[in-house]
Amino acid sequence: MKTKILTSTLWVFFIGISVLFSSCDGFLGIMPKGSKTPSTLADYEAFIRDEYTNQRTDITQAILLLNDKFETASNYNYYPLRKANYFWDESANRIELNNSDETTYYNGYAAISSCNLIIENAASATEATDAERNELIAQAKVIRTVVYFVLANYYADTYDEATAATKLSVPLIESADLNASYTQVSIQNIYDYMLNNLEEALPYLPHEGATVLHPTIGAAYAMYARIYLEMGNYTLALQNANEALTENSALYDWTAYYETNKTQIEDATSYTVTTSPMGIDNVENYYFRHGSNYYATSESNIQVDRVTRFEAGDARMAARWKLKTVGADTYYASTLRGLFNYGGLTTTEVYLIKAECLAREGEYADAMDVLNAVRQKRILPDVYQPLSASTEEQAMEYIRRTKDNELIFSIVPFADARRFNKETKYTRTLSKVVDGTTYTLTPTSHLWTMPFPMGATSNPGNGTLTQNVDK
Amino acid sequence: MRKKIIVLCGMALMLLPGTHEVFAQNVGRASGITIRGTVSDVDGEPLVGATIRIANSKIVSLGTITDMDGKYSMSVPSESTVLEFSFVGFANQTLRVGARRILNVVLKTDNQLLDEVVVTGYQTISKERATGAFSKVSGEKLQEQRLNSLSTLLEGRVAGYANGLVRGTTTMNGVTNPLYVIDGFPVESTRYTSTGSLVENIPDLNMEDIESITVLKDAAAASIYGARAANGVVVIVTKKASKGKVEVSFSSTFTFSPYSFYKDRLTSSADVIDLEKEWAEKNPNLQGSNAVSYANNLLENRVYTNQGITAILNAYAGNTTQEEMNSTLNTLSAKGYNYYDDVKKYTKTNPFYQQYNLSIGKASEKNNFKVSLTYKNNQYEDKYSDDSSFGLNITNSTDITDWLRLDVGTYTKYTNATTQTYDPFSPGYTYMPYDGLVDAQGNPYTSTAESRYSEDIVNKINSYGLYSMDITPLDEIGRNLGKEKNFLNRSFVKLNIKLADWLKYEAMFQYEYGVDRYNKLSDKESYSVRSKVNGLATASADGEVTYNLPYGDINYERRQYSSAYNFRQQLNFNKTFAEKHDLAMIFGSEIRSTKLEYKDETQYGYDREMLTYTPIDAASLLTIYDGLMEGYFYSSDLSYQRENVDRFVSFYGNAAYTYDDKYTASGSLRWDRSNLWGTDSKYQNKPIWSVGASWNINKEDFFHVDWVNMLKLRLSYGIGGNIAKNAAPYLTAYYSTNSNVGGTQGAVSSRPNPELSWEKTATTNVGFDFSLFKNRLNGSVEYYDKQGSDLLANANGVPTEGFGYSTYEINNGEMSNRGVELTLSGDLIRTKDFLWNVNLMYAYNKNKVTYVNVEAPVYYLQLDYPSSYPRVGTPYNSIYGYKWAGLNEKGLPQVYDENGEKTTTEPTSLDAIYDLGSTVPSHTGSLGSSLQYKDWQMSFMLIYQLGHKIRNTDLPYLQSDYNNSMDEYMTSIGAVNKDIKNRWRTAGDEAHTDVPAVIFAESSDYYYGSYSVYSYADINVLDASNIRLSNISLSYRLPQTFCKKIFLKNARFQFNVENLYTFAFEKKAKYLLGGYNSPNYVWGLYLNF
Repeated sequence: MKTKILTSTLWVFFIGISVLFSSCDGFLGIMPKGSKTPSTLADYEAFIRDEYTNQRTDITQAILLLNDKFETASNYNYYPLRKANYFWDESANRIELNNSDETTYYNGYAAISSCNLIIENAASATEATDAERNELIAQAKVIRTVVYFVLANYYADTYDEATAATKLSVPLIESADLNASYTQVSIQNIYDYMLNNLEEALPYLPHEGATVLHPTIGAAYAMYARIYLEMGNYTLALQNANEALTENSALYDWTAYYETNKTQIEDATSYTVTTSPMGIDNVENYYFRHGSNYYATSESNIQVDRVTRFEAGDARMAARWKLKTVGADTYYASTLRGLFNYGGLTTTEVYLIKAECLAREGEYADAMDVLNAVRQKRILPDVYQPLSASTEEQAMEYIRRTKDNELIFSIVPFADARRFNKETKYTRTLSKVVDGTTYTLTPTSHLWTMPFPMGATSNPGNGTLTQNVDK
Repeated sequence: MRKKIIVLCGMALMLLPGTHEVFAQNVGRASGITIRGTVSDVDGEPLVGATIRIANSKIVSLGTITDMDGKYSMSVPSESTVLEFSFVGFANQTLRVGARRILNVVLKTDNQLLDEVVVTGYQTISKERATGAFSKVSGEKLQEQRLNSLSTLLEGRVAGYANGLVRGTTTMNGVTNPLYVIDGFPVESTRYTSTGSLVENIPDLNMEDIESITVLKDAAAASIYGARAANGVVVIVTKKASKGKVEVSFSSTFTFSPYSFYKDRLTSSADVIDLEKEWAEKNPNLQGSNAVSYANNLLENRVYTNQGITAILNAYAGNTTQEEMNSTLNTLSAKGYNYYDDVKKYTKTNPFYQQYNLSIGKASEKNNFKVSLTYKNNQYEDKYSDDSSFGLNITNSTDITDWLRLDVGTYTKYTNATTQTYDPFSPGYTYMPYDGLVDAQGNPYTSTAESRYSEDIVNKINSYGLYSMDITPLDEIGRNLGKEKNFLNRSFVKLNIKLADWLKYEAMFQYEYGVDRYNKLSDKESYSVRSKVNGLATASADGEVTYNLPYGDINYERRQYSSAYNFRQQLNFNKTFAEKHDLAMIFGSEIRSTKLEYKDETQYGYDREMLTYTPIDAASLLTIYDGLMEGYFYSSDLSYQRENVDRFVSFYGNAAYTYDDKYTASGSLRWDRSNLWGTDSKYQNKPIWSVGASWNINKEDFFHVDWVNMLKLRLSYGIGGNIAKNAAPYLTAYYSTNSNVGGTQGAVSSRPNPELSWEKTATTNVGFDFSLFKNRLNGSVEYYDKQGSDLLANANGVPTEGFGYSTYEINNGEMSNRGVELTLSGDLIRTKDFLWNVNLMYAYNKNKVTYVNVEAPVYYLQLDYPSSYPRVGTPYNSIYGYKWAGLNEKGLPQVYDENGEKTTTEPTSLDAIYDLGSTVPSHTGSLGSSLQYKDWQMSFMLIYQLGHKIRNTDLPYLQSDYNNSMDEYMTSIGAVNKDIKNRWRTAGDEAHTDVPAVIFAESSDYYYGSYSVYSYADINVLDASNIRLSNISLSYRLPQTFCKKIFLKNARFQFNVENLYTFAFEKKAKYLLGGYNSPNYVWGLYLNF
């Protein structure tokens, strides 16, 4: 009896164990929910919609250097780097002050890494046609180009044909792997790389993206125009601007916005906000990309003297800021809230690129027509007068005023200023007086190039990183 | 009580290697005189499994054990034979046979010997043969205190257990708490928080059911638990009924804890008014001609909303006279701690906790049944916060045949709790000590929208007719109460088959199911609903208001389901060969699965009568960017979901060989496989193992020391594993809904890490156990060295590779814990009426990170998240800070930068940041004593923790907060530590004070980083060493004679005081250590029928 029990129990035990072994994989194959390993094309496409990582451009120090925003004393006292740039302090060692992370760099390379991940994996992603795969890869290439343009025009010298091949730009990294190698390439290399990305992308881009975060053909042409303008190749810049405008030439009517919200805008004591029309639905968007915030928020406040550089009757300005005094501070406070396309590409920019190219080629009237097309949608009808120019300088003066105001808080005014700093006839020295002290920023100042953050230089990974500026 | 122990020990003994089967076989073999009799305890209860053998005989087989009725019979060679009667937990007795043929023996308990067996959860082994480090707390010891929570039971009772950790911190990113095992089954009480992170809780059980708690500390003891062994294992055994009559016991405790708020450390109304006056005096904008318009502007914009500054500004603005201002300020100044007093008077109550326990047990020869019931009712200090719970535990054990035993059990707990969600200490507006919760007439105080919002916003509320933004705290506290209803059931069945005397098969299965339900119905009258609805209201250009969120009650429901099952089968082998070679082995397999599902949901415009709600257009709510009161809607305002599944398959075995009861060698081996992602199969197959040896020195023939009753040396070495529940070897991404453009957005959560594996902690343990002077002094000394390797440690991500400043985890961390533990227990006096026992525990732990390849990418991460960026050569739980350099000539705090120079701005170099000591005490332990005289017993326990640090967060400093009106950081005036009175005021003060000057935001010296400079300086890292009188108890047992009259077996009254006093080595640390919390007063009544 006992032996029987013994044998049969042992059998049960061993059968039990072997069943456990064989069913082990199924039992343990269960994957926790909430995250997964991407495999389908849709899994990769979702990265494009991750606005926090891949769809924002922070250029805080550039905006501060241009004095385009009102900065509180408590802030610049707390952040010495902000103070150095805001007060154009050439003696400050900004390399030491930029002693940790910097979103411009960190977030820029995070977006590049996501694009690299898509480009490396989308070709083998499942549940998609080749056309869909190619389209996603092409879109990632455009985004990568948009990001490199900001990095190259922030951390390195501006493009100059004579020196581009010898001066260093920013790290070029093409893999999303851990410990991937990279090279800090020359300025010429990085521009070639950007143009090459656009060229590879163009055949596969759609006329209309799945969302405004997905670059289109128009976005690629607009980006071409921006790069060629930066390189001083006005012919190609104009050609691509025209291509972009063929895709989309709509301009948003700010005078109509003003009219709709007139009561609120003209009530000097009410700071009730209205919704930003510069968000994802704006007709001017080729490609939408946030500034430093990826969520709905207000804009930066601007200084009283910055407002004087706007044209009289500028509805866009009046809708965005209102004079406010709180305590001892007086400034123009933001009155819009929502999303803002600071980092992407819009028709306004392409119009103004086209205007500049025409002006450079001596077509002043055509240039002014293009500029006036934009102004007409900005300047209130009772103030609006079409502009005309008889010299390149005059045309450029008008175009630049509009462009600096229209594209405020984007990389464009900063990149433009650096570009003009190379041309004797368009250089400007900025100056201001604060509490009796005069501050100036010369066109040749080293401050126009930002130092890499120390977090990147001290932990360079599989490559070397050299500062492009001494301090 | 004692009887239960007896039966338990008897049962435990049956599971032991060798023992009764061996004896039984030999009964009657020796010819001679046959002796019969009964062995019982002093109460006349028979002792089952007591051993009778011929004294001084080395031959074990010449003996027998008592049967289920405590009866025995055996043959002895002659009348001169001396018999030795022994039973676990009782003092041995020897008798000469003489002419008698019936020998009835009464054994007396020996408390000191109760520790004779250790229960590992997989097997019960005799302490004599154990090679590992076990610490056992018997249920009897626990009587001295209120049985309220498991964590407080172990504190001070197990050397090396402190603050929920066993022998220090052994992991950086994995699970840190020990594994809890109840009656053989691991019970993990993991839950999701409402923000989606996992927390490990201590499992539930009826505390009065605890028979003993054993803490497994080293590898030989714990390795059998495999991948969860590194943090130690806490094994709980519950009580069984003892044989005989039905046993009924009842107990109740009432605990009273007076409400306390240590307001005396704070600045009073007068101090705050002084600060407000100083603000005005120092404000450059209030000097000169612009003062009037400036004062008006501040009032209009409600930059400062406190009564004091408002009164001052009104005078500057010309709205009131100087006299009116002074009289207002004087009135406010005289209000002392009015706000705190009102909070106490109107919103708080004295916490009162009730607990009742009833248990009924009945055991017969073949069956053992027990049921226990615990009811708790707690009233917390918040007037509306209370809970009650009901726990029912039923167990039954039946011998179906003499070779088959079936155990079943079930535990059910039901909890019902109400939580006040409105906190009068963060009422939704800033308050000062002079404020109150009622006005002069005694009506509830209302903070109006006008008093908080700028004129612009108040106009907006009025012109658009938005819902009131007033807050009346006394109305709010009773609104939006959180209602929690939790249900938990845990049931098991165990089958035990005796295949042979030396071989047993066990199969056991446990299923656990829990539902946690939480419901918060936010009343439409409440401020939170009004502000939420207003926040999302929009206006069209022509002034028409749309409430995008319907105005009405908001119903928030949260459900959490947990289910787990565990199946184990095991073969137990026990055999003694040639009388001296004892071999015990187990082999088994185990599968375990736990699943956790979390879901919450919010319904708007809820009708509590009709149970209906108003559907909302979530997609458009998510894109409201121009709410009139700047509100946002998040997808989590709709619903939130989480799920976690952990599965394990394990195979294990261990073996122990003992020679002649003197030498024992043991070994264990276990494989774990799991679905947790961090387990590439190559690493899953890494076994976890241990080896150990022990030597019972006192059993050696050469050892003749009369006063040494027991002396044992133990050695062990082995590996313990640990897991991290959220690491993965592959590229993983998480996905969510994009509210701006729609569709799914995805982000990389971790990059591929193919080398991910278990964490490994190798422990070497050397221990001595001893029992001296007739077992009056017992103790053990342990030395351990735990070397953790392959610990999941942070590594810096390369910014250029796109990591940002985030880190990733790789198995490259190494950390060591070394320590010594000493446990001493002595009966200083042991007479018939008088017993004085003293217990001393001491544990030393030194933790050191020995390898890690990470450096804080930003200085403030080193300060704020030190455990993410440990430094090699320092303790893992270090506090980091700057070196203090005194105040400068303006009273600004200074520290030394990386070059050793004084600075008033935060040094941003890691070289300026130092390790200032660990938050984990290096010396811990307790001193306890109990004094028993006849029916009275008094005991106390002191718990000490020494050699650690705490950062002072209660600083005499006005911090900066973001001011919405000014759109920048500003000094926030309010109640802080009253040491601010000793602050720097004039030049030269820096020589004799370390309390910085008050610098207001309007000053040109204002730098909002000053607080960081000051608070991170080493002067604000305090010695946290403390001694706490954690428990005092006085109990009285009713005399037996009296009990009998009222049909009681025994009755006990007990009075306890918990946490009566805390002595902090550094005075400033006392508040931070909770030293001013009021003690708990406990009255208890314990009855046995």
